[in-house]
Amino acid sequence: MDFTYTEEQKMIKEAARGFLEKACPNVEWYLEMDNDEKGFTPELWKGMAELGWMGIMFPEKYGGIGGSFLDLVVLLEEMGYAAVPGPFFSTVLLGGLTVLEAGTEAQKNDLLPKIAEGKCLLTLALTEAAGTVYDPAFIETTAKAAGDNYIINGVKLFVPDANVSDVIIVAARTSGTTGDKDGISLFLVDSKTPGVKSTLLKTTAGDKLCEVAFDAVTVSKDKILGSLNGAGAVIARVLQYAAVGKCAEMLGGSQKVMEITVAYAKERVQFGKPIGAYQAVQHHCANQKMAIEGSTYITYKAAWMLCNGLPATRIVASAKAWVSEAYKKVAAIGHQIFGGTGYIVEHPMPIYSRRAKAAEYAYGNANYHRQLVADELGL
Amino acid sequence: MAWDFGISKEEEAYRQKVSDFLDKELTEEIARQSWEDLGLDVEGRAFAKKLYAAGLMGWSWPVEYGGKGLPPIYDFILIDELGKRWGAHVPNDVAYTMVGHTILRRGSAEMKKEFIPQIIRGEIEFGLGYTEPEAGSDLANMKMTAVEDGDYYVINGQKTFNTESHYSEYHWLAAKTDTKVSAYKGISLFIVDQRAPGITIRPMITMSGERTNEIFYDEVKVPKNRLVGEKNKGFYYMMEALGSERNYVFVPSRYLPYLNMIVDYAKNTTFKGVPLAENPMVRDKIAQIAVEIDMSTLLADHARWMEWNHLPMTCEPEITKVFVSEMEQRMVDSAMQILDQFCQLKEGSKWAPLNGRMEWEFLHSFMTTIGAGTSEVGRTVIAQRGLGLPRG
Repeated sequence: MDFTYTEEQKMIKEAARGFLEKACPNVEWYLEMDNDEKGFTPELWKGMAELGWMGIMFPEKYGGIGGSFLDLVVLLEEMGYAAVPGPFFSTVLLGGLTVLEAGTEAQKNDLLPKIAEGKCLLTLALTEAAGTVYDPAFIETTAKAAGDNYIINGVKLFVPDANVSDVIIVAARTSGTTGDKDGISLFLVDSKTPGVKSTLLKTTAGDKLCEVAFDAVTVSKDKILGSLNGAGAVIARVLQYAAVGKCAEMLGGSQKVMEITVAYAKERVQFGKPIGAYQAVQHHCANQKMAIEGSTYITYKAAWMLCNGLPATRIVASAKAWVSEAYKKVAAIGHQIFGGTGYIVEHPMPIYSRRAKAAEYAYGNANYHRQLVADELGL
Repeated sequence: MAWDFGISKEEEAYRQKVSDFLDKELTEEIARQSWEDLGLDVEGRAFAKKLYAAGLMGWSWPVEYGGKGLPPIYDFILIDELGKRWGAHVPNDVAYTMVGHTILRRGSAEMKKEFIPQIIRGEIEFGLGYTEPEAGSDLANMKMTAVEDGDYYVINGQKTFNTESHYSEYHWLAAKTDTKVSAYKGISLFIVDQRAPGITIRPMITMSGERTNEIFYDEVKVPKNRLVGEKNKGFYYMMEALGSERNYVFVPSRYLPYLNMIVDYAKNTTFKGVPLAENPMVRDKIAQIAVEIDMSTLLADHARWMEWNHLPMTCEPEITKVFVSEMEQRMVDSAMQILDQFCQLKEGSKWAPLNGRMEWEFLHSFMTTIGAGTSEVGRTVIAQRGLGLPRG
């Protein structure tokens, strides 16, 4: 048993902390990114690519630096700490990892080096309106074979960064009917293909969640990612990575919130004492600390199990169920301690509490994951 | 150095050995003698001896006193495996997980030689003599005195909530040896023969039927060689031991039997013709119990790992303590909601579900956020020692 980062991971953390502090300079900049159509700047993206982040867990033969999923989790923790905006998560985790898991050699050779260089943005279009949440069995988007092509029709929701993506991985039904576990396939769709239309949704966090409509979109059959009709297992696995990756972001965010909250409690004087000397405030901060300690170990345990190919369904679900609620609690306490000052839009608190809400619902909220835990308990 | 949540092959082999032994030898009756603090009776004493004879005790203890000199993880494996079975613990729990460690750290060579081998063999148990009527959370406010008189200390005063004392051989006693200095600098620790003349033990029965005790000292003579470590350093020794004690006492595996019980109940009970296991509300509540047990386990593993790697613990065992104790109360509440009206039926009653275990646990759980330091003191410790917030 060991609860420590490797030396390399410590270096990743340090480098990321330093770079992101400069790259995300102040609250005004975040607000600008919230309102910006794209939600990030070319300089930020280029800087991240130069640090090798996009290829952190791709093998070297695909232009990556050959790290592990744990290394990516370390990086995501720092990204959550900095609340960095942009399409990193969608490109690398939802896109790159799915290609790495399911792609043919040709698809991997084509896409992964471009992703690693920061020259290709990807996302995954999975969720739909009709209560599909994250169960691919209920996907209603269809892809019908037509000669050497497939024709895709359907509407996807909450697709992160589709508005800036070059390639959208679409999950569609290729056989069977709604409710069948099998019969779902993944397609690599060029976002410029006629019939693809992304519409930015207006969200709490100002992140770039989109509706993506596919209206008779034609793709050739060599754009199928993984096996025809067999995407269910790939999607399940990618969702596990995504849930843990999101936990890492939330963990980093909650650490930052506690840090600024505790610092404020030490310096803010009321009734002649720093408010942090009052037990009512101390106990709030202790609750933040307890929530974060738990988040740390369960996130890394889930990542460690995925990394080592161990059965991780229960611990991943446990992690997302816990961390989703922990970050929300930590952010709420932060607001309570900052009082009115944290309610102002130019304060860092809303940057974090709004993202906590988005992350809570990404890749399954706590209720969803508790149902998975219940399944695992044999209920 | 790298994240690793597994245990080594050797550790796993020991775990398997313990597990096999307990599956054969540990009965619910024995487990309840320790967990419910009913008293270490004939069966419990015999079980302690068997545990030693099977070669399962003392792996983490120094070789010179009969141990194997391995890291504390072996003792943690032992208590986790016991905990998984009806929430049992080592029969001479206070001696093995608390007192013994302080004797090793601070006791004289002679004291170690006398007590440690007996502790490893499961032969002796201690009652913890800390709390007094005027010294609960504010332990330094104790009034009991120990006055030097020739080769002895003469002790007078009253203790309360000394749980194991009615069946223990020894009393691990804190008393004031200097009343003129600050309370923290005038307390000493003693090992007292629990049956010494002048000691009166009176039972206090808790709402869940456990026995604890109030103990009166009237001119009790304790030989000077039973002073632990240095005079007037007792409070420091108590605080020094606190983190480690929390690591041994708050054992998340003890909640697994309750989780398993309520899972079985949900699978085997129907409401309106539908198994409770298919009711989303029931599933959600049980899953939350499981998530919180996962969380408790990780918090405990981390704090224990710090201990056996000699890393400075500031608030980590306190976090385990506060979380685990509050989790226990949430667990009981959720489980009782699932049992509905049947939850109030006591063991032995007609219609009692789960043999009345959850009903007992409900009564017991009021103690968890109070005993060994309240949640409020715990959070203050986390805030001040863990986060550096100022003292009020």
